Amino acid sequence: MKYRMEKNPLTLEAERELTSEIRQLAGSPEAGETSRPADAYWQNLIIRINRKIDNATSARALSISWAARVAIPGVVAIVSFLVGLHYYVPDAARREPSVAEVLLALPPAAMDSLLVDPSRLDPSLSVEDVSANLFVFSRQQIAEYFIDNGNPGAAVDGISDREANTVLAVLSSEYKQRTGDMP
Amino acid sequence: MEPRSDIDLVQEVRNGRRQAFTELMRRYQERVYWVARRIVGSHDDADDVVQETFVKAYLALGEFRGDSSFFTWIYRIAVNLSLNTLRKRQVLNYLHESELLSRILPSADDPAKELENSETHSALQRAVATLPEKQKAVFVLRYYDEMTYEEIGRVLKTSVGGLKANYFHALRKVREYMRNEIQDGEKPPHA
Repeated sequence: MKYRMEKNPLTLEAERELTSEIRQLAGSPEAGETSRPADAYWQNLIIRINRKIDNATSARALSISWAARVAIPGVVAIVSFLVGLHYYVPDAARREPSVAEVLLALPPAAMDSLLVDPSRLDPSLSVEDVSANLFVFSRQQIAEYFIDNGNPGAAVDGISDREANTVLAVLSSEYKQRTGDMP
Repeated sequence: MEPRSDIDLVQEVRNGRRQAFTELMRRYQERVYWVARRIVGSHDDADDVVQETFVKAYLALGEFRGDSSFFTWIYRIAVNLSLNTLRKRQVLNYLHESELLSRILPSADDPAKELENSETHSALQRAVATLPEKQKAVFVLRYYDEMTYEEIGRVLKTSVGGLKANYFHALRKVREYMRNEIQDGEKPPHA
């Protein structure tokens, strides 16, 4: 018998033998079963569990309402802000400078020569006249300025391709015209 | 009037009838209590486990798909929580020891001794307390609850072969412990 148990210990028969031996041992006066809680305990246990469920569900409801009122709108606002920041601010930063901006960045002496229409240049010119002429100048005036004042390429570095092309086209035609006029 | 099935009660709870869950608790509280008590070994811990089991079950009732019975599902929660309680206790014991609190607290080297110190327990319970946690869970479900290996497999999510091996190891250890205990009890005090 012992040999069979060693050989194949996981049989139902072997399990029954072991179990019944343990039950016999546990049935001895020294090995009594643990005492059962009083009947009132069970009723009280249900009340306590129900109270815990109430607390847990109200805490969960609170957290859901908090999420609905505060967290979700907050997250939406932050995400919207970040999306806006990504799509609009970089666009603004990437905006090409206008011709006016390029010209404003020029040295004051160069500016003075552009502010006033040379045809109206007069010692009696008032400030109002100058202001009225501000940035109102012809393509020809711009071209003349660039040709007379050094490297035209450097002046167009900071402007958009479209504006640069316009300026360079004007310069080119003006330059050809002048060189053609030269003896 | 025929009693409603567990599935019917679960459906009622889902439909918002809380009273149906109280009915489910009434049905299973004692069984859940005893499985927890036999694993954790003390009334207070078992009491905590039962409460936590039902609260967890109530909150997770939406996830209960009915693949297994409600009883199996709730048993699984109870066994897992009981094993967690044992693990927490082991960690606490370790911390107590490391903080030299072992001088004033009962020794945690021997789980059976600890159990003996905390409450008056039977020899069988002390024997069960010495088992590793997996064997303990299988022993409780098979020996006390007389569940089939298939049912235990569904509760513990383990193969039947593994469960049988665990149960046999547990049975042998318990038998040896009890034999020794009874032999010691029969010896005269100063022999």
